[in-house]
Amino acid sequence: MAMAASAALRPSMAPLGRISAAAAAAAATVTAAPGRTQTAAFSTSAVLLKRHRYPGARSNKDYSKKRGESALRRTGTRWRLSVSDEPLPRPVPRDQLPAIETDPDHGLWEFFPDHRTVAAAPEEDAKHGRSWSVEELRHKSWEDLHRLWWVCVKERNRIATGNWERNKSKLGFGEAEALGRDREVRATMRAIKHTLTERFYAWEDAVKLAKDDPEVNLSGDGPAFTPSHFLEGEEEAAVAPAEEKEGEQHAAEGAEETAEKTAPAAVAAADPATIPASKPQAEAPRL
Amino acid sequence: MHGCRPNHVIAFIRPKPRQPPNLATFVVPLTFNKLDLRDYLYHVYNVEVTAVRSFINQPQPRQKDGQRGKWYRPRSQKMMIAELVKPFVWPDPPAEDAREAFDHAMFKRLQKERDDQISRSMNPSNIPLRTRGPETQERQTLREQAKEFLDRGEWTNGRTGDDTWTEVEKDIKV
Repeated sequence: MAMAASAALRPSMAPLGRISAAAAAAAATVTAAPGRTQTAAFSTSAVLLKRHRYPGARSNKDYSKKRGESALRRTGTRWRLSVSDEPLPRPVPRDQLPAIETDPDHGLWEFFPDHRTVAAAPEEDAKHGRSWSVEELRHKSWEDLHRLWWVCVKERNRIATGNWERNKSKLGFGEAEALGRDREVRATMRAIKHTLTERFYAWEDAVKLAKDDPEVNLSGDGPAFTPSHFLEGEEEAAVAPAEEKEGEQHAAEGAEETAEKTAPAAVAAADPATIPASKPQAEAPRL
Repeated sequence: MHGCRPNHVIAFIRPKPRQPPNLATFVVPLTFNKLDLRDYLYHVYNVEVTAVRSFINQPQPRQKDGQRGKWYRPRSQKMMIAELVKPFVWPDPPAEDAREAFDHAMFKRLQKERDDQISRSMNPSNIPLRTRGPETQERQTLREQAKEFLDRGEWTNGRTGDDTWTEVEKDIKV
């Protein structure tokens, strides 16, 4: 009886009705009058009777959207869902999941010595030479110094990673060796900064000198450097007796012409050591 | 990166046991922010990152000189977890018996010695029983000598009796 009443009060619980269709039908046959047979699993008459139609009647809406749903009694939802018949995915234990492949060219391998071991053994750590000296770095190009700087940065990161791993995993000794290596790397970095600072000061001085130099044009228009011939004075003296009858003005013009003519030749015959290399120098050796 | 010469040091940290492989943990300088780490990983290591989480570990206050000294708080430590585009699985640490290169056996012995010393100094009233500790060489020799005497069955201290002493058990006519 209770089942029939609850089914009648909950007309919209289609899944419920379907689940307990047999029971509800049995109850309905019991409660129904002998002459009438109930065709539906539940009746909607109760709700229809409850609906008040007179003006000012209170709303009889069921505000509880989940009335009758119970996790304990496993009633399911009141409405059939689109995924009701879909089998639920089962969680897979972590150890049965397929192994994750790490890319052998992954950038993070660079945090490890020789790209594989987690921390360098002290014997390997101790295999290092001295740092670069300032005198050696003075001969290096800007690109070389820049590259060497980043090699040093990566090496320091590698050392820090190894230190952390050695301490945390309690691998053993090796702190002193790592410190020694780090010290050399830092000395190299200091030398790079020293070299670049020297170069900057030299450049500042050169700019100061160029302001008073007639051969240098700092305005940005035209060639920055127009070298005057260093034999100008002597040639003028040699040409002067031959063209004595000409005016001084002509002589000056001639001198200018010869200077212009000889200037490219002078450049071509310049000492090869003074010409800057067009190609950048070879890559700096790794530490 | 032209002309840029930062000297930050960044350590790549082994992930926690159940940490997914797309997360990489780093110890970074305190001045670093998330964008810095993203840029750093991309330009220096060519590692792409989708997101960065960051947090700071603040250590407990400590005393300068062991038990007595000025109280201070050690410098905090910033850690960042980067969510990687390509997953990275850390290699396993070397096994216990494969750490000869680090002199692991000696390291462990020294560590135990230090720990014992600290625990002894922390509870000075907790004096261990002599029988609990390892047996000394003297006690071992003593035990061997006693066993030898017992096996031989007779024992003497190598002295002859004194005349002034009388044996009590004997019947003496008074």
